[in-house]
Amino acid sequence: MSRQNVILQIARRGGSLFSLGKKLWQHPKGRVGLILVGLLVLVAVLAPVLAPYDPYDVTQRAEKGLRPSLQHPLGTSITTGQDILSMLIYGSRVSLMIGVSTGIAIAFLGALMGVMAGYVGGVVDNLIMRVVDVLLVIPTLPLIIVLTNLLGRSYFVIVLVFVAFGWTGLARVIRSLVLVLKNSNYVKAAELAGASRWYIMTKHILPGTSHLIIMNTTLTCAGIMVAEAGLSFLGLGDPTAISWGKMLAEAQGGGALLFGAWWWILAPGVGIFLAVFSFMRIGIVMEEVFNPRMKASSSIYKLFKHLNNDYLDEVFQSMEDEANAEPAEQPNGSNPPMAEGAHD
Amino acid sequence: MASNRQHPGALVEMEGVSVNFPVKRAYPFSKRRWIQAVTDVSLQVSEGETIGIVGESGCGKTTLANAMIGMIRPTAGTVRFQGDDLYALKPKAFKDARRNMQMVFQDPFSSLNPRFTVYDIIREPMYIRGGVSEAEMKAKVLELLKLVGLDEEDLHRYPSDFSGGQRQRIGIARAIVLNPRFLVCDEPVSGLDVSVHAQILNLLMEIQQNLGLTYVFISHNLAVVKNVCQKVLVMYLGKVMEEGTSDALFANPLHPYTKALLSAVLDIDTHEAHDKILLKGDTPSPIDPPQGCRFWQRCPFAMQGCETIPPALVDIERDHRIACHLVSGFSSEHQASGLDKPIAQ
Amino acid sequence: MIDTMLEVRNLKVAFPAPGGVIRAVEGFDLDTAKGECVALVGESGCGKSVTALSIMKLLRTPPSVSRVDKLQLDGRDLTHVTERDMEHIRGKDMAMIFQDAMTALNPVMTVGKQIDEIYRRHTHLGKKEARRRTVRALDLVGVPEPASRANSFPHELSGGMRQRVLIALAFACMPKLIIADEPTTSLDVTIQAQVLDVLQSMQRDHDVSALLITHDLSVVSNMADTVYVMYSGKIVERGAVRELFTKPAHPYTHGLLASVPRLSDEKQAFVQIPDTVPHPMRKPSGCYFHPRCFRSSDRCSQRMPRLETLSSGRQVRCWHPLRQEREI
Repeated sequence: MSRQNVILQIARRGGSLFSLGKKLWQHPKGRVGLILVGLLVLVAVLAPVLAPYDPYDVTQRAEKGLRPSLQHPLGTSITTGQDILSMLIYGSRVSLMIGVSTGIAIAFLGALMGVMAGYVGGVVDNLIMRVVDVLLVIPTLPLIIVLTNLLGRSYFVIVLVFVAFGWTGLARVIRSLVLVLKNSNYVKAAELAGASRWYIMTKHILPGTSHLIIMNTTLTCAGIMVAEAGLSFLGLGDPTAISWGKMLAEAQGGGALLFGAWWWILAPGVGIFLAVFSFMRIGIVMEEVFNPRMKASSSIYKLFKHLNNDYLDEVFQSMEDEANAEPAEQPNGSNPPMAEGAHD
Repeated sequence: MASNRQHPGALVEMEGVSVNFPVKRAYPFSKRRWIQAVTDVSLQVSEGETIGIVGESGCGKTTLANAMIGMIRPTAGTVRFQGDDLYALKPKAFKDARRNMQMVFQDPFSSLNPRFTVYDIIREPMYIRGGVSEAEMKAKVLELLKLVGLDEEDLHRYPSDFSGGQRQRIGIARAIVLNPRFLVCDEPVSGLDVSVHAQILNLLMEIQQNLGLTYVFISHNLAVVKNVCQKVLVMYLGKVMEEGTSDALFANPLHPYTKALLSAVLDIDTHEAHDKILLKGDTPSPIDPPQGCRFWQRCPFAMQGCETIPPALVDIERDHRIACHLVSGFSSEHQASGLDKPIAQ
Repeated sequence: MIDTMLEVRNLKVAFPAPGGVIRAVEGFDLDTAKGECVALVGESGCGKSVTALSIMKLLRTPPSVSRVDKLQLDGRDLTHVTERDMEHIRGKDMAMIFQDAMTALNPVMTVGKQIDEIYRRHTHLGKKEARRRTVRALDLVGVPEPASRANSFPHELSGGMRQRVLIALAFACMPKLIIADEPTTSLDVTIQAQVLDVLQSMQRDHDVSALLITHDLSVVSNMADTVYVMYSGKIVERGAVRELFTKPAHPYTHGLLASVPRLSDEKQAFVQIPDTVPHPMRKPSGCYFHPRCFRSSDRCSQRMPRLETLSSGRQVRCWHPLRQEREI
């Protein structure tokens, strides 16, 4: 894709993203999700400002294993005396960055592959689908272990493997949708007018998949964040970075369970939970927003809870035929007015 | 039957067009099967005329229409537009030729991109073609909106805000924006409410008169076709069963299939229930169709020979051709072999 | 006194929605005699399908709210009957034929099994006996080789065959009333004729009452004895089919009939009814048809006319009905 086109595509998506954001805001559950994600981003960005202590500070020997107090709202770690609140705040950076960057990279790669496979078809389709089949078979965890051994532990390796193997799911789903869109009559009409394949791909097919891409990406981010936490817990991530998963590993290794330092376990756990929850919440609400029928059924139930019976009675009453004295104009002209009508 | 090669004034001509699609093989090296969607169809459409193609699902009418406008290359035969072999044209000339042909689709709900505004939809063909300024495009779109009976305020609305009939109007506006010479209407009213049929049909007729268009009108409703078309082709399972000018054909419909179609049309003017011709069985699959007459399995008048001998399209009167053994009769040798005996019910 | 099979009095159905209420059915009355075929004619959005579903008590609250004064099937009052009892009635005394066979049939069960199920549910037949009946039912509706076809799945059958299976399903227990909701709309014209023929002979031969819901006037003309014309939730005309078709009283009926393309016409423009059906949430004041009516007057825009009786069995809801002497 040419650079201009990429920028154009992002700009286009930005436009619809804004209206999407508005719709999410109006939905009560969506609002919760948006607020949480917003908070998360804020915390990650403003980490240096918000964290009361330097999370890397391992010199406070005296502060080891402190219970939550005013000075250390979430206590300190047993092994090193690091302030857990500060670590929590800084940990959000890793989660968010990895989750979002991987998600976006997967979105691009998956959408590109899916559209090409679906629209171009033929050999390209076969090739891409066979690659997908192969990638799906390879187990990612052992691969990451091997690679980190070779290349050293870092998040770069993790992101690389996630992206290289994670695009397959999206590609498959997009391809199915593209196969359907390809046969739409409006695509035919454009072809009749002389549209090039590129035009159809960018103007009709890709926008038609944007909903799916955005929704899938949101849920992917949530999944990646959990996966990253797990890998960091196993010690495969960057040992110098602060991550929630790593915090959990340290907590376990430092005997948090043994000493009853529940705050050390709870903090990163809640952090992971909230991050994943907020993204999933947005993803689910998005599905409702995109699929008006789903939205209708959930809001109808709410509507019924607040239904005013008097209002309904009024509506039904207004459906009755009026009991009026004047009869209709007689179809046979001169006859006298007829008896009252069929029913009341 | 000799076919004329050149028809002066014929805008579109099809000669012996067949379109076959391969069926995906169950396993490699098994026998290749073919869907014979269209077999040996010839027709000529003159400028300003409306030709009707009548048939039910599976008869190949949509495939035929697609072949006519350059969407599907025929397996055999030629398609001529203004005298030129359409599929032999160089890519640029091909694109230019195709801009002269447009299509109005059957389903108003899927023929418009739900994410495009009405303005985007109607202006799209101009935009694709290029060479027109934004102001000119807007003016043309407004002009067409008025022509099809919509308002200026509808410009920025989305298809989901409109009813089926209104969407079809938008589709019609889009189809004529490039001033095509030739429009294929593929069952344009089948997906609409009955009270809207008349509106859309009248609109199509009005546009044809005002812009001097040529129409290929595909439908299964013979009453509509009678009112709208000068020539009619009745198709079944890819082959033409009966064809002619609509005056000649409707004055004297002879093919059993045509008669069956006619009996299914509501005729309010006759107060008694007219004879219903009921066909037997279902429409067979177009994969490897029958050898003889393709209609024989459902025909209430089928004879022994109909199963194996394909009937040729013969003239039975001026401007009226039919492919049926019942009408054209069997040759004397065939009669001698008893092929003209009706098949036992 | 003609045996009344189905009696409906003052059926009203509404769908609360954000922004208002969808007034689907506004006071619907119906009488069907034993063995009679009644057609309910209208376009999309007029409320006819909703009416069918409410007679079968298949509408759920939410999303709908319905009221009915009286609903009686063969003398049995269904107005306040429980869902449990309805489950026994549906399929046995009252059955429905849906429009789209592909969605009405279970795609993972053979058609034979689906018909067997009906028998085993409502009568206490064993497997073998139920299958025997199933094969006979399929034969009756004209499925060739019924014994082996019973083992086919719905997607293996053609559209016409599937529709016949639906008919067999509906008639399996010889119900008192059949409701057919657009039974042939999705079919080809010649197949439609075949399926309607089957439906008609099943209905007539077994003296079953039928409520036929459709927008297709040719189907009505072939099958029905009485016609109810529905527009935007209200009945606007009712009468015997021949009479209604030749001498329609309501301008809408007249417009519908006039806009059907005729074979005997000289080539001319089609008669059209202007504009479109009103949105069920934003209905016009007074008579719902008045904005499209060529006979409307001031009174039409102010007050909704009542359903008046013109003669026995003939009713019309209009301030200016068409004169009855003139034929169309």
